[in-house]
Amino acid sequence: MSSIVSLNDVHVHFGSSRAVDGVSVDVKPGEVLALVGESGSGKTTLIRAVQGLQTVTSGEIAYTASAEPVSEPDGGRGRGNRGVQMIFQDPTGALNPRQTIYEIVAEGLRIRKESQNEAERVGRALSRAGLRPPERFFPMYPHQISGGQRQRVVIAGAMVMEPDLLLADEPVASLDASIRGEILALMLELVEETGLSILVVTHDLGLAWNIADRVAVMYLGRIVELGPTEQILGEPRHPYTRALLSVVPETTRMEQQILIGEIPDSRRIPVGCRFHPRCPLLQSGTLAAEVASRCTTEDPGPVDMNADSAAACWAVT
Amino acid sequence: MNQLVLSVKDLAITYHSASGPVPAVRGVSFDLAVGDSLGLAGESGCGKSTLANALLRLLPDGTTTSGEVMIDGQDLFALSPGGLRAVRWTTGAIVFQGALHALNPVQTAGRQVREPMLIHHTVGSEDEARVRSRQLFERVGLPANQLDAYPHQLSGGQRQRVLIAMALACDPQLLIADEPTTALDLMVQAQVLALIAELRRESSLSLIFITHDLSVLTYVADHLAIMYAGKIVEEGPSLSVFQNATHPYTRALAAAFPTIGDPSSRLAPSGLAGDPPTPGALPSGCPFHPRCPLAEDRCQTAEPDLRPAGPGQRAACVLV
Repeated sequence: MSSIVSLNDVHVHFGSSRAVDGVSVDVKPGEVLALVGESGSGKTTLIRAVQGLQTVTSGEIAYTASAEPVSEPDGGRGRGNRGVQMIFQDPTGALNPRQTIYEIVAEGLRIRKESQNEAERVGRALSRAGLRPPERFFPMYPHQISGGQRQRVVIAGAMVMEPDLLLADEPVASLDASIRGEILALMLELVEETGLSILVVTHDLGLAWNIADRVAVMYLGRIVELGPTEQILGEPRHPYTRALLSVVPETTRMEQQILIGEIPDSRRIPVGCRFHPRCPLLQSGTLAAEVASRCTTEDPGPVDMNADSAAACWAVT
Repeated sequence: MNQLVLSVKDLAITYHSASGPVPAVRGVSFDLAVGDSLGLAGESGCGKSTLANALLRLLPDGTTTSGEVMIDGQDLFALSPGGLRAVRWTTGAIVFQGALHALNPVQTAGRQVREPMLIHHTVGSEDEARVRSRQLFERVGLPANQLDAYPHQLSGGQRQRVLIAMALACDPQLLIADEPTTALDLMVQAQVLALIAELRRESSLSLIFITHDLSVLTYVADHLAIMYAGKIVEEGPSLSVFQNATHPYTRALAAAFPTIGDPSSRLAPSGLAGDPPTPGALPSGCPFHPRCPLAEDRCQTAEPDLRPAGPGQRAACVLV
């Protein structure tokens, strides 16, 4: 089946900084793909590029027809892609405190001058996001509802455009623990009911376990491991994924591998494998000499997006 | 019984807002022995940060407190301003979340670590303070050349280490850490948690660690106390509370962060309907009843006290 969006060797550079450095991946219809990584991995830059908010330096982002960015008369992409909608981390910051819930959710329609059946569409989006009956919420302001409800309003504002692809940047990171599950359950429900695809960016592996069909692990501008969630979180092969998983407090079955230092500056990406200066496998001295020398001199390259699962590591065969 | 560094009895804290009194902490009691660690977990508005600040009397003026806090054998609320200054930093020190805001942007990291020592005269001279700050940097895993760095030149994880070095400057007996890892990446969080565990192994440092993430606490805390609506609703040894939670709220909190690999949580996120209550407008009876999957009629009228719920474990629920 064709993809909702397909990324082919996408680069986003800021001067000498290679924030996204060759990413190829596609999002399939009805799929939840989790892009997992730490700060500095380039995951937020990448999702902004998919939304059309960030120009790519090279490479290609191909959308299905319905998700295609609409070119504006002025040649800009100011209004973004109709079929691609985004929700952000902090619902309070994302909502205009002086607009009613109705106005907030209707805004996308108004910008696109789609005024037919506005009230009905706003109502449908709100109830789809679990705010029922929707009419009760129409006249309310963001401060009158709870944090969990605010995130539902943000989701309703995205769903009113009936997107094919929902981009979510840490959708539950600023929410209370007990509310988190409700919002994640809502996202799964939306996929089931509308056939939507979701690309979710997170540092939270538990979130991926909860909702993602596939996981892409990013490190320093590249996807270093890609595959079905059960496999990536159950039997990770890339030493970076293994280390990340070993420090998740929710897993107790692995011996902790705490990496030294932090992700390097994307202006100075190490030669060879970009992970090699922090790689516990290389440091363990158990690798064969010819493999170890490849790690420090030769880039293993991006993972193969068409493989069922793939890891960008010389030691993985 | 070990010597207690902290003994809290029936502590209640009420803020006064324009719209009336806001009871943030409603009667909390616990003891902390020298060298022990207590993890306080709960969500926004449950009173955990208010409680932490109260332990060093860092609450805003006009806040009403009742109950008793004995810190290192001294009655906290009876301390003179001078006595209070001596307790802060030298007996108990606090590490806040959001390391960027807690540091002074126009002073070097080293200067900020030396300052408490000089103010509290725990060192004899500026030179001695320099020597000690170098030792502290080594102890928290920061290179000595970062003593001269300004906060903006450091990463989030490094700033959090500076704050820990600062808190340790006057060699306190008690470290209070309020969500110290919340803003950090997974790997950096693991580094900071490992550092705190190591500091505790090296000395008899007592620890109060506050977070909304229950699973983090099983790493760093011997005992857990779960707070909801200003009260402790469950407490006990951390592994038993985490694995055999008896209060429905604790169970929900534990399930909120799934165990990776557990088939029951795969594609099945678990949450609670509703939101944590606002301290100024608590529900009647058990304040958890509107969100409780097991609530009965009697839960709407009477608020249960803590009762035995297993070895060393207590929970405030009528079903226990």
